[in-house]
Amino acid sequence: MLIDIKNIYKIYNEGLESEVRALDGVSLQIDRGEFVAIIGASGSGKSTLMNILGCLDIPSYGDYSLDGTDVTELTDRELARIRNREIGFIFQGYNLISALNAYENVELPLIYQGISILKREDLVMDALERVKMADRAKHRPAEMSGGQQQRVAIARAIAARPPIIMADEPTGALDSRTGRHVLEILHTLHEEEGTTIILITHDNSIAATAHRIVRISDGKIVADSKNGGDLQAEVAREGGAGS
Amino acid sequence: MKLTQALKMAAKSISANKGRSALTMLGVIIGLAAVIILVSYAQGQNLAMRKYYESMGENTLDVYAYSWDGSVDVNEELYNYCQRISDYVAGVTPNGRAWGVSISYGVQTLGEGNSYGGGIMIGGGGIMIGGGGGNYVEPPTFYLGNDQFSVCNNYTLARGRDISYMDIERLNQVCVLGASVAQSLFGMIDPIGETVTVNGMPFTVIGLYAPKGNGVTEYNESGDNWQEVAMSRMDNIVVFPHTLTRILNENQSIDEYTVKARDSQSTRMAATLIKSFMEGVLGDNGYVDVYNQTVYQEEEDEANKLQQYFLGGIAAISLIVGGVGIMNIMLVTVTERTREIGIRKAIGAERKSIITQFLIEAAMICGIGGIIGILVGYLGTLIVGKLAFKIVLIPGAGITVGAFAISVALGLIFGLYPAAKASRLQPVEALRAD
Repeated sequence: MLIDIKNIYKIYNEGLESEVRALDGVSLQIDRGEFVAIIGASGSGKSTLMNILGCLDIPSYGDYSLDGTDVTELTDRELARIRNREIGFIFQGYNLISALNAYENVELPLIYQGISILKREDLVMDALERVKMADRAKHRPAEMSGGQQQRVAIARAIAARPPIIMADEPTGALDSRTGRHVLEILHTLHEEEGTTIILITHDNSIAATAHRIVRISDGKIVADSKNGGDLQAEVAREGGAGS
Repeated sequence: MKLTQALKMAAKSISANKGRSALTMLGVIIGLAAVIILVSYAQGQNLAMRKYYESMGENTLDVYAYSWDGSVDVNEELYNYCQRISDYVAGVTPNGRAWGVSISYGVQTLGEGNSYGGGIMIGGGGIMIGGGGGNYVEPPTFYLGNDQFSVCNNYTLARGRDISYMDIERLNQVCVLGASVAQSLFGMIDPIGETVTVNGMPFTVIGLYAPKGNGVTEYNESGDNWQEVAMSRMDNIVVFPHTLTRILNENQSIDEYTVKARDSQSTRMAATLIKSFMEGVLGDNGYVDVYNQTVYQEEEDEANKLQQYFLGGIAAISLIVGGVGIMNIMLVTVTERTREIGIRKAIGAERKSIITQFLIEAAMICGIGGIIGILVGYLGTLIVGKLAFKIVLIPGAGITVGAFAISVALGLIFGLYPAAKASRLQPVEALRAD
């Protein structure tokens, strides 16, 4: 089991009147090589779930084992290492560093990994080729369209060849054509490299392309296609009706 | 992450955010330059004051002594006594003034009634040209002194020789000229051995004093500072053997003496000794008073110290203002920086890497700003020194290093604080900042 979370809670302002349970006892197992879409309405807790899965945030309660390691016990430094080597992130808002150009942004996680400059150059250019952005290597984020920025962000996420890619609404800020292209890149990665993909979306037509769909609502998992039920078809229908 | 990588990242960040970097540097530059200039100004003020006192003669006593019935040779007694207490006293001289004296060489006359230098030119060729254009030249001060006049009044001989004991004994008609008198009378000619006319009598110029002031001889009524005018006046003198009071000053007795003590400690001792000795010698037949300049000098130093504290206070405030400026820039950009830190953490930066990068970045900005600030401060100090004191004023090493250290420390603290705070956040919290 690659990812195994049990009874995860994320509670804000606990004990106060304004208490919010963003995650309310979530348990989820994801195997190596899966392509999972987590869907839900906004505010359902899907982003919080991804942040915790990606070690960007810590749960209030619960157990998290990543590839056999108990993540809740790790130090800041060890968590940084996991984020650096095990997981590639793709955010809705791209989150590129505006002062750095495409090449430098993609290079950043490799620098933190301590990879030598020559090897970095190969990895960076390879990643940029895969998202067809090699010709824009010297461009800064402000000089690129949203789709181009997201492709650079994907290049950054895949440059270090992490076994897991987590994408939080990667197409949310893109038009449907660019969005489809981004999705294709993820699928290619999954098929060719066997990368585990965890995709968060509120768009059912995108979710329908995943092999497994998990639906979350009010901080709880309400449906998981792995556990039977034809969520796949249901979502596809909803997606079809929506578009 | 290696240190070289952190250096590269910091340099990249500085050059990519030129506006932010420049504004932060400006804060450092202004603070640092202001401190250096203000403190140096205060030190310059002190320096000018000290220079003035030095030129006037440090550790000197003014002795007023006279015998009502002439039964005591005050000069002789004082001179001999000062030889006896030479552990304390370096020299003693009559400090007489001769009034109504004029001195001329060729067509140039200086002194009583002839105070327009170059104005009265009785030339052989009958051509009268107002060489000075009616420039008012302060008439020189004519002193009556002895062989120790220069020692007591802090003059150094530039050329020729001083008045000697023989000159005094034999009433030799000789004189020593101050620098500006020599300049006015002789111009480029070497005055040593030349004969000048003093009150119609021939005198030989035997010596020339080195200038004390800065060579500005015109009396500037529109207000250069008084020290400077006083110092240029010190070069506008002629010294005769004191015994010539007979022919130059209607044989008036000299009641004023200047005593030069070995050091400031000796000054007090000498003052007490001389006063009690002369009181003993003169008894009821005369009067003696000893006037210690050191006391006034110390009072002046005290006042200067106050001014220095005041300016130092202003400087400290400007440093704080500079620091607040740095802090403002840092805080304004903290949101942007927090996001950046969030991104860096999300893709695997350790807290240590982030702190290192921001530390180097702040150090670079403050270092560069600090160096520019020092340059501006030095330039400003040179200009201020030239304008206010007419001297080459250079900031002290202490204040330079101190101000640099403080401004860099301010920059580091304010530059590092937001980064240190943000790096402690969970990546998702830092990313959420906007």
